[in-house]
Amino acid sequence: MMNSVTSSTGSTQAQVPEGYMKIALGQFACLIDRRAIRRNLLLLGLVMVASIASLAIGTVALSPWQVIQALFGQGDALSQFVVQDLRLQRLLAGIYTGAAFSLAGCLMQTLARNRLATPGIIGIDNAAMAFAVSSVVSTAISIAPSAMALAGAATATALAFGLAGSSGTRGYRFIVAGIGIGAIAGAMTQLMLSQVDIDTANAAYPWTVGSLSARPELMVNILGGGLLLCLVACLLLTHLFSLLPFSDAVITGLGSSTKWLRLSSLSLSIILTGLAVAVAGPVGLVALIGPEMARVFARYRGIPLIGSALAGAFIMVAADLIGRTILSPIELPVGIVTSVVGGPYLIWILIRQRSKSTI
Amino acid sequence: MRFWFQSPPAQRSIKSTLIPVVLLLVFCCLASLFYGAGDVGPSEVVAVLMGAGSDDARFVVTELRLPRTLIGIFAGLSLGVAGALMQSVARNPLAEPGLLGVSSGSAFAVAIALALGASTATLSVGLAQLGALIGCFCVIGVAQMQGQRNDPIRLVLAGAALSSLLIAMTSLLLLYNERAADEIRFWVTGSIAGRNVDQLLSLLPSFVIAIACVVYVARPLASLALGERVAIGLGYKPGRIRLLVVFAVALLVGAATAIAGPVMFVGLVVPFAARALVGPDIRRTLCLCLPIGPLVILSADVFSRLVAQPAEMPLGVLTAMVGAPVLLAIVRAHRLPTL
Repeated sequence: MMNSVTSSTGSTQAQVPEGYMKIALGQFACLIDRRAIRRNLLLLGLVMVASIASLAIGTVALSPWQVIQALFGQGDALSQFVVQDLRLQRLLAGIYTGAAFSLAGCLMQTLARNRLATPGIIGIDNAAMAFAVSSVVSTAISIAPSAMALAGAATATALAFGLAGSSGTRGYRFIVAGIGIGAIAGAMTQLMLSQVDIDTANAAYPWTVGSLSARPELMVNILGGGLLLCLVACLLLTHLFSLLPFSDAVITGLGSSTKWLRLSSLSLSIILTGLAVAVAGPVGLVALIGPEMARVFARYRGIPLIGSALAGAFIMVAADLIGRTILSPIELPVGIVTSVVGGPYLIWILIRQRSKSTI
Repeated sequence: MRFWFQSPPAQRSIKSTLIPVVLLLVFCCLASLFYGAGDVGPSEVVAVLMGAGSDDARFVVTELRLPRTLIGIFAGLSLGVAGALMQSVARNPLAEPGLLGVSSGSAFAVAIALALGASTATLSVGLAQLGALIGCFCVIGVAQMQGQRNDPIRLVLAGAALSSLLIAMTSLLLLYNERAADEIRFWVTGSIAGRNVDQLLSLLPSFVIAIACVVYVARPLASLALGERVAIGLGYKPGRIRLLVVFAVALLVGAATAIAGPVMFVGLVVPFAARALVGPDIRRTLCLCLPIGPLVILSADVFSRLVAQPAEMPLGVLTAMVGAPVLLAIVRAHRLPTL
């Protein structure tokens, strides 16, 4: 976790706290948690291992060395074709969507001060799904469902925010409003699926469970760019976001505007969710488990933004790998793998949750 | 800011509210019989009901509209009473079977049956009830284990989380079973059209048991509303009361779900309206839920027939679109009303 602290005057020699390291760049300096760096590097290693496994395992099995060679344009033609033309796109889509879902989840959990408040639970996924399905059942599959998914995510959040009025000190109204909107969107999706013939309903199926098999290339690239921008924005705003867990009074007392803080973290998380749903459909529970894993894994002192992104990418790649291989040649959509594996974990969280709502 | 539903009318006689509601219900039943598919007008319907009328008209009325109306009454009754019970026992105005994963538990059980080769027409009712029972126990169990039973939002979150898990498992089951997937996509929208009376009759025993439970727990529940100590002092056992309530809710919701599909939000809207009319006493609320439940379902169903002629809107979609705003209205109230 980076805690960027801008020192107002260069002359004051502030003591660097233990366990932190200071990076100074002219007038600006920031403190970096050493432990966070170590743990994040470890998570990054996990992502890389999962990625190489994902590139290596499949109908054509390759050795890790062959994969690495093929990635750098070496090795034989077959492995180069398999890795670069067939599997790399899917891997990238998995990494991007996992990171985006998880980062969005982390932001929203912190905003609502509730571990269960993730975009999926509050209906953004459902609305994006309803919009995408409406596009599939009325037209052929193209770029349109992705664009519609984005529009759906934005519409749902605007509605939830508008209907909840002020989000209140605990943001719970926003969550319940979201649940209501999610229910309507789910009902509309069912309505559309029941009105069309079975072939069209099957074509819309990936959009209802979350799957990496129908990712449009353009959307993957857009998501990659968007993810990068959102990550940079998150890092620049870290010192603000670390205020989110405090009460409104404290935030105002420290001189920040709660409204602006909510608006910025919320819009980042909507953009990320919308883009990710546009690529892979509503992948259940990654937004919930990713930040959770980052927290458990790294025992952060602040909000684990980078860690969440890395953990989300790892979960997504691993889940996709499991879905592809466990019942091969049948391919399980990644959304089902994450839901079935993550569900029991979710219930465990619910049971363990202490009486005070903590994130 | 005080909302009108937070201050119950002072001891308004229950008869004075019950009579207009029942009259409205009769009106809705007649509308449900008079309008719909088939070119049979009100005068012919009356003729058929009197024992006359052409064969065509007789078929439309007795085979299509009458079962549909009866099933609507039955489903509304079950869901309304179940919602009132659940809200009372959870002391939470947002507790609703559909929202809390009870319906998805039922849907999951139905999906298992479909995947194993049953069809929606011959669906076993007991199975849906078993699924509802498991869903009920999961949600209540999770909510109880948190040790803070009065946090309405957390219960709703627990329900939403459980529902999403159950829905994922349902999709997993349906993934490679196209026939079941084809059948269930109609079933999950919730509808009371095209079901037969035999199914309804097979539900009657469990319905009678559930209503007996409700009658038995009504008084203890009312004392439980005053607090656990009061109930114990009056000689009731809170644990046993809650268990009975969960059992009755599961029977009612399971039966309604088996016959009408998962119909969302009826269990939220009906007790809400009943409390608004007669105040928070659970016995009065239950009394009023009996006519209001069928009233809500039948009016939604008649509306669904009229709004998109000649096609019909599934009932579940309509109730979700009506119910979600009510949910928002309850949440937007300045202070969540606690029960």
